Parts: sequence; C-alpha cells; structure tokens
Amino acid sequence: MIHRILGTLASAASQPSDERQPTPAVRLDGVTHEYGATGGRLRAGEQRTVTALRDVSIDVQPGETIGLEGPSGSGKSTILHAVAGLLVPTSGSVELVGTDLTPLSTRKRTHVRRQHVGIVFQHFHLLPSLSARANVALPLVQTGVPKRARRKRATELLTQVRLGDRTTHLPSELSGGERQRVAIARALATDPTVVIADEPTGELDTATGDAVLDLLTDVGRERAVLLASHDESTLAVADRVITLRDGRVVADGQ
Amino acid sequence: MVSDDEQPPNADSERQSQREDERSTDEFSGRRTNRTRWVGLGRLAVTRLWKRTTKTTSRRVVATISAVALTIALLVVVTGVALALADGGTTTENDADVQVMPESTDLLSSINGVEGARLGEANERAASIREADGVDHATPVLTEPMRLEQPSDESAASTNETEPGSEANATDNRSATDPQTVLLVGVTPDEESRTVAGLPTGELASDVDTTADAANATDTNATAAQAPGQRELVLSTTAAERLGVTAGDELAVSSSQFEMTDTPPPTVTVAAVVETSGDDETPVALGHLHALQTLSGASEGELADRVLVWGESDAAADEAAAAYPDATVETPDRTDPSLLFDDGLAFVTSVLALVVGVAICAAFVATTAGMTVNEDRRMLAVLESVGFPTHSRLAIVAISTQALTLCGALFGGVLGFVGIHALNAVASGTIAPGAIAETHPLFLPYALVIACVAGLIAIPYPLVIAARTSVLAEVSR
Repeated sequence: MIHRILGTLASAASQPSDERQPTPAVRLDGVTHEYGATGGRLRAGEQRTVTALRDVSIDVQPGETIGLEGPSGSGKSTILHAVAGLLVPTSGSVELVGTDLTPLSTRKRTHVRRQHVGIVFQHFHLLPSLSARANVALPLVQTGVPKRARRKRATELLTQVRLGDRTTHLPSELSGGERQRVAIARALATDPTVVIADEPTGELDTATGDAVLDLLTDVGRERAVLLASHDESTLAVADRVITLRDGRVVADGQ
Repeated sequence: MVSDDEQPPNADSERQSQREDERSTDEFSGRRTNRTRWVGLGRLAVTRLWKRTTKTTSRRVVATISAVALTIALLVVVTGVALALADGGTTTENDADVQVMPESTDLLSSINGVEGARLGEANERAASIREADGVDHATPVLTEPMRLEQPSDESAASTNETEPGSEANATDNRSATDPQTVLLVGVTPDEESRTVAGLPTGELASDVDTTADAANATDTNATAAQAPGQRELVLSTTAAERLGVTAGDELAVSSSQFEMTDTPPPTVTVAAVVETSGDDETPVALGHLHALQTLSGASEGELADRVLVWGESDAAADEAAAAYPDATVETPDRTDPSLLFDDGLAFVTSVLALVVGVAICAAFVATTAGMTVNEDRRMLAVLESVGFPTHSRLAIVAISTQALTLCGALFGGVLGFVGIHALNAVASGTIAPGAIAETHPLFLPYALVIACVAGLIAIPYPLVIAARTSVLAEVSR
C-alpha cells in the first residue's frame, strides 16, 4: 500500500503540467469560508456567520515548509482543516496533489486525506488505550495493511523519531515531547504528500519543542509541510511564512 | 513497428487474457484488502476495549458488563424456574430415573377403547431389578380408571364388622355422593417416599420387606395384599373434592360386578389427600399395585403399564433392559427445554422473562454505550482525521458495543447458573421440598443469543451519537 501510494505520488509529481511546472502539493485558489453558512462549528443561523477566510490563494510545492502566522481567529486552523478536507470552504477551490477537494463527497475526501495528508495536533490526540505502536499504526488499519506489516512500519517510524524503546508504552506513560513525536510518526504512517501541524510545539517546553521542530524539518525535506503557530522560533524553521489577519493573507514570504 | 490492426489475432487474445488476469488479480487483492481492513477494525475495537478494561478507564466498561450480566442472570434464573415448572401430565409425572414401557402398538392405539400393550410378569421382574446393585427401588405401575363412592350405610356397617377401627367413619352423617371415576395408579411403595403420578408413595405403607431376599419378594407382596394396609389410597385434592372425602374416610369400589353377585364392594381407606405437583384437573388416586391388579383382573399375568426404576441411571437402565429386552427403556430428561412449550404457565413465565430481559438489557446497553460513545467523541474525531470513513467508525462502535454485551452475557450466564443453585439451596432449606429451578446446558447459548439481540436493539442509539460527532469541534478543543 505504501509503495502504491509512493508510486502514485511519484507518477503525479513526474507528470509535467501545461506550463512544464511540477503539480503543487497544495493549491488554495480564492478560498473564502464562513462558519455557520455551511454547517460549520457555529450553527447559530445565517445572521451570526463568521467569515474565517477571505479570498485566500496559496501554492505549496513538495519539499516546501510553509509557516502560517497570525493572531487567534485569523484563519490559520481553517486553512489547515480545508487542506485536510475536514471542511469544505464556502467558495474557491482546494487542490491536493492536483485533485480538487471541494466537489468531492465526504467519503472521497476522507479517502484523499488518508492517502495524502498527515495531521499533527497541538494536543497530540493519541488514543489513550492504545500503545505508541498501535497509535502509529492506526491509519494503516483503514488502508487494509496486514497486522505484521503495520507493526513493522510503526516500529520503523517510532525508531526514526527515536522512540524505538517506547513501542509498547501507553500515551499516559510518555512525556509531552514523546507523545508529540508519536503523533508525528502517526502522521507519517501512510507516507503522505502533505503534513499539516497545528501549533505542534504549543504544549511543549522550549527544548522539547526544538527537538520536535527538528523532526518536522526532516519530514519537510520530502514533503510539503504546513505549520500553523504563534511562536516565532517555531515559524523560523519554515521556508516561507504566510501572515494572516482577519482571514486575509497580508504577507507571503520571508 | 506493428500497429494494433496488423497484429496477429492470437496477440489480441493474449492481451485480453493478460488484462483479465490483471483484473482478477486486482479484484482478489481488493477482496483481501477489504478482509484485512475489517479484521483490523475488529481487532482495533476489541483491543481498545480490553486495554480500557485492564489499564485505563475500566469503570464504564465494568458498569456495562455488570448491568448486562445481572439482567441475563435474572433471565436465566427465571427460565430455570419456568423449566422446573414445566413437566409432563399427572399420570406421567414421576421422579424415577428410568422407566420401562412396552413397545408401542400402533395397530391398536388408533382404536378407541382398546387397551395398549402391557408388561407381563411385572411384579417378579421388578423385584429382580430391585435387587440389582445401583438400583434403589423398582415398581410396576398399573393405571386403571375405577368408579369410587362413599360407602352406603349397609356396606359401611359390613365394613365395620371387619374393621372395628373405622367406627368413627360409620357415625359420620355425611350423605354418600354419586360414584366418581378416578384414575387409580397402583404401585409397590418402599420405605422412601417417591413421586408417582404426581403423588407421594410415602403416604402408603411399604410393600417391600427390606430383609426379604429376591426369591420371596412377590410372596411378600401377596402376603401384604391381605393386610389392612393394602386397602389404602392417596387421593389427589381433585379426586377428594369430587368424592367429598378427607383423609381417614372410607371409599367403596363401585362396580356392577359386585351388584350382580350381591357381594359387598371392597372398601379402601383414604390415607392422605395431597395436591398433585402437575395437572390438577384429573382425579387421581395412588394405591397398592397388588390390590389394583386383583380388582382389575391383571393379577394373573402380573400386568403393568410401566415399570419405574430409581437409582444410578446407567445401572438401572442396564438392569431394566436385561429384565425387559423387548421393551422400551427410557431415561427421562426432566430438564428438556422443549417441555416449556407443553406447560402454559412455564411457557408464559419464560416468555415474560425473555421480553423483560431483552428490554432491560437493551435499555442498559443503549444507555451505557451511549454515555461511553459520548465520552469517546474525541477518539472518533481522531479516527476521522486519520482517514477512517463514517462506516468504519460506526463499525468500531458497533463491535465494541456487541463485544461488551456478549462479555456481560457470558458472565450473566455463569451468574445465572450460580443463582439457580443458590435459589434451590435457599428454597430447599425453607419453603420447598426440593429444587424449584432447573439448569440446562442450553441456557448459556440462549443467554448469548438474547444478549446479542438486546445489543442489536440497543446499537442504533450509540451509533447516532457517534455519527453526529463533529471532528472540527472535537480536535479544536
């Protein structure tokens, strides 16, 4: 399955576009999103809709690490959720490896997310009753990878994030930094094209946060990484930082 | 370069064959992936449940399992009581371990009024069975309808001449009732009280001389036939009410045979009036075998309808088969669940237990599973964010709920068996002479099936809660 995904991605990356440019890993084109209008978080009626994004256009190339900065409510998380296919914007298009997510059904968006997106949350969101290895192998269950292969892949990933000796530990038996590394390993389980990380160091101390950022930097060499944060030192690892205010892109670049 | 049109025909067929091979390989791979996925989902649900029970948050899991276990245990106990209530009719109700019956005679059985086949030399053979190792007691059973009535003054007076002890009965002013037909059941009672035709043999004087050897056992019966104890009956309450007698009263056998020969009819004493444990509509009386054989003309061939044997089932069955090689030897299963369908009260009791059990179990499972899913919203959101579609997430919830229910049912089944034994122990020590509930191996699969049905009824509620979970709301918290 992993090789199949890699093969698909490789062929997608090798296909030249009309302008002989590589297909962007992520493309947001004129994206506007209003919560409340499309059945989002706030179901308080049309009179109380909140515009989270206004005509946002972003391209992210494979191997590029993008930092999203801005105050709370500026639309950072909404962009990440739209890229992950967890929400459909009110208008505009969101392309993931050349596939527009907006016209797809929930099931198909879930399928695309499973194949192309790895998510790292601020609060880790590991399943407390599963071991570190089982948490990492979780996305592979739905892809139909046999148990032995899942375990092998999860152990390899945990070793990569320097947790090879913690495979059977429950999340409650791990430190915050270790939990976030398990979450990163889980995000890489299906070898995704895009990794999105929402405040990945928000729960960690500086030293642990630096270790996690090093890991994400390594990850970003082969994939597109979208990193949302308030923290300057976290954004410092990005190749490009996009600044958002009230749902608009006010700056795009270093 | 060769175009497609110029290729030889066999190249097309080869390509087509190759495409078909690839397609079938893909289909096979797809099926295998699907199977692996579903096995993985099942494993994930069960593993998560197990780890939660043993390592993390066990309270909710234990609460669900306990609720289901208690409900199922109650269902099993009530069904056990219903099974104990269910039994055969009065004339077949006995507590023997083995019964010998003549081979069925289909040719005669369809003709109304013609007697079926009977066992011959029953007294002698029962005596020989009685002497075998592992056999506690054996008795022939003869069933004959007889007309009984309260004795007229004349016959009572003649009885008084022979029985001075019954003077009190003769002075009774109660008027004689019309003759009533009663089903007389003749047995050879021993020192221990046993149940035949729903009545206790212990109320009759023993016919078995425990010091006598097998050779003179029948002589013992013959001698006993002359004793006053041979002329006693144990009446069912129905029979006693119809005849208007109580314990200690006299009854006369009404027969045209005695009227024609102008001989006084033989009289019998009511030894006891007992409520039968089964069918209470048929008037039944339990008496001594020899007396009944003499009255019915069955004494010459020592005829009997059945021979009942008490003792170790295997030994009793072997001995009975040896004594009657051509007869049917049965080891009755008094806990056959199909008996529930033959007894109205038992059937209604068990059906009520079933309905109440399913309803309560489903309510418990729906409530606790709903609360569990509500607490698990974040887990469901995480599953969605890592690519589990709705049907997979709901499958995990459904498998978890059913697994919990089945665990509860297993515990409940075992608890039910323990409960039945405890109930019997308490009942035996207080109000009942013996067991009031029966166990059966089928109770365990029955409990599992019922719990499974209750789980299926309960599942929609947690599934609705799971389906309504908003991934954005949960991961943004």
